[in-house]
Amino acid sequence: MLDNEVTLEIQHLIREFKPGDGDLLGALHAIQHHYGYVPKMAMRVVAKQLRLSEAKVYGAATFYSEFRLTPPPETLIGWCSGPACRLRGGEHVRQVLEAELGIQVGENTEDNRLGLHLAQCNGTCEHAAQVWVNGKVVGPLSAADAVKLVRGLKEKA
Amino acid sequence: MPTYDELRPAAAAAWKAVADPPRPLFIVSVNTSSIASGAAETLAALKALSEGGAGFDVMQTGDTGFAWMEPVVQVTRPGGQSVLYGNVTADKAAAFAGAAAKGIARDHLIGVVSGAADGVPALADLDWMKIQTRWIMHNCGVIDPDSIDHYIARGGYGVYMDAVKLDRDELIKVITGSTLRGHSGSFFSTGTKWGFLKGATAEPKYLVCNADEGDPGGWVNRVLMESDPHTILEGMLIGAYATGATYGWIYLRDEYPLSIERMNRAIEQCREKGIFGDNALGTGVKFDAEVVRGAGAYVCGDETGLIASVNDGRGMPKLKPPFPAQSGVLGKPTNVNNVETYASVTALLRVSPETFSTVGTEVNRGTKLFTVSGAVAQTGCLEVPFGTTVNALLTAVGGIAQGRQFKAIQQGGPLSGLLPAAVAGDLPLEPEPFRPLGAGMGGGGIVFVDDTACVVDLNVMTSWFLEAESCARCTTCRIGNQRMVEILGRTSRGEGEAEDVERIKSLAASMQFSNCLHGSLSPTIINHTLQFFREEYDAHALAHRCPAKACAGLIRYRVAGQTAAVAEAAAICPTGAIVQVGGQWQIDDAKCIRCTACRDIAPADIVVEDRYGDTVPLRVIAPAAVARSG
Repeated sequence: MLDNEVTLEIQHLIREFKPGDGDLLGALHAIQHHYGYVPKMAMRVVAKQLRLSEAKVYGAATFYSEFRLTPPPETLIGWCSGPACRLRGGEHVRQVLEAELGIQVGENTEDNRLGLHLAQCNGTCEHAAQVWVNGKVVGPLSAADAVKLVRGLKEKA
Repeated sequence: MPTYDELRPAAAAAWKAVADPPRPLFIVSVNTSSIASGAAETLAALKALSEGGAGFDVMQTGDTGFAWMEPVVQVTRPGGQSVLYGNVTADKAAAFAGAAAKGIARDHLIGVVSGAADGVPALADLDWMKIQTRWIMHNCGVIDPDSIDHYIARGGYGVYMDAVKLDRDELIKVITGSTLRGHSGSFFSTGTKWGFLKGATAEPKYLVCNADEGDPGGWVNRVLMESDPHTILEGMLIGAYATGATYGWIYLRDEYPLSIERMNRAIEQCREKGIFGDNALGTGVKFDAEVVRGAGAYVCGDETGLIASVNDGRGMPKLKPPFPAQSGVLGKPTNVNNVETYASVTALLRVSPETFSTVGTEVNRGTKLFTVSGAVAQTGCLEVPFGTTVNALLTAVGGIAQGRQFKAIQQGGPLSGLLPAAVAGDLPLEPEPFRPLGAGMGGGGIVFVDDTACVVDLNVMTSWFLEAESCARCTTCRIGNQRMVEILGRTSRGEGEAEDVERIKSLAASMQFSNCLHGSLSPTIINHTLQFFREEYDAHALAHRCPAKACAGLIRYRVAGQTAAVAEAAAICPTGAIVQVGGQWQIDDAKCIRCTACRDIAPADIVVEDRYGDTVPLRVIAPAAVARSG
């Protein structure tokens, strides 16, 4: 797509959002929902439509852990950092994920096929220790289970 | 627009099909917890059987609170016998359905909800239920959360119709007199807060519903939103009448997509039925609301952070004054209550303030939701009277799992504290007894910790969270939490220093001066650690030992037996640390990351040892004896 076509598409995505109406998060969500991330160019379009500076939009987009400014990996593994998971071996799961993938939480593999994301407790603690594979809770996991899970995902990727 | 009375006949008819169904009705709990256990597949399997002529109907409900038994299914049969079942996964659905449609399916039984018991326990007689008074959770796991008819049939929006019969000041007086205070953990009088907004002169006025439930281990608000969204909206509508607010913002965390979906659907239904709009059910009250989706920021749970998030995008808490009642969302007078508080308003007026005051304690009447997780036998959500003790709650959830010892609670998220069993056990669950301990009761999450856990490890976890979630405005919080991460991290690696306790105390003292509670309360758990678990802390910091053998830097793994299982363990090791030397398996300590995957495979052959070897007695070296080696 040409730049101006993308601009039109973004304008269409955020057409219902208005200046001065508490709509900035909504606009960023709409964009991320469509593209999987918030492209730089979209921030410019949002700034214009909501009559905000680009800095303000960038400031908001980077304040939150759930907005991403680069394309998401094909498979995103969210590692739950909550206390129930920790008490049931969550830290071991993190060590396994990082060692098997050769990346740290917050990073993606070089080919962008797999990524590790720091997830916050969603209260499904009966499944501790858990990860979320593309949003789906997988658990309870022992460290050995986590090894098998990641090896399976690597094969599929 | 229809009046309330005009909405009732259709609602009653819809509910009759649930309460007294013409043929067996399978009611599947569909919520975030149950979906993680496979409830969506169970629902699909039962629906397929039903459509295939199995002779029963299927409906969804929200959350019964029995997270540990998900997927939960309630089966109501003609004549009124209703039974609750657990662990009904899709693979077992057909066999289960065959039995449960005819009588009581004993394999999955939790308890009999109503009707003939046939010699099996009543739900109400279970320890899990006996402790509970379900007023706020009145509809949880009972109605279809997507059905406004079910809600109305069970008295919903009738509470609002009764509330508007009272003069606004009178209504606020009733709320104040009920002792209802913010259930988020702040415990500020709800009626007093509403009075502030009513008294504000600027227009328009707004209500905010804080649904940014970020405390790890707490999910009481999620249970309510996924089970009974209209109870929350009705509480807001009552608040709108009382305060003169005309619009509501429900700030809902990104981690709860199903809550977002169900709240949005409920709002749409309110608009369709004329409950939201310019003239709510003909009462002359103008009110509407929208969901604002958060994006992952703990500090947005602070009301000024939340308001800043809506207004400016960045959710950085601000100094008060101005208070939200003076200048909140879009600079207008705003009242912020959390999900459970609005739901409590509806509950208290529904059961009547007189009845409400019959449970709880003198200063905290009524009930509160708690979610229990961690080292307990049964994870889930319970609603108990204020003043119920921690020990009573623990007994109700089956005690500590696997026969381990109760070591501590970590209640109310990372800002509320870590209290040892000896102190926590007898505490009544209400805010006041926690305060002299330098603790908070928090918003409902209680994580039980057993004796296999290491308190320094828990501090490492907490310090990461607090540092990452600092908005970074105040230096005390930004740098203070960074330093805590450094100190606790090195302590857990066996590089602690004798002076660290003084450093921590000094940091904690300066962090008190942070603008918001995130900064000022960040040292709570480390303070409790030094106060209640000093010996365990010193073992790490001074003797460089971890009594629980949990801290990776202070332990080592060793191959103790040479069986076939060790070869499997070697294959699972993510770093290839288990190697054969001269025909014997051993662990290359430099490669071992202490992830314990090998022990999961070969528990008898791989042992975890103190890094000095288990034969050296664990002894804390007195601070004076620790020489700084320069």
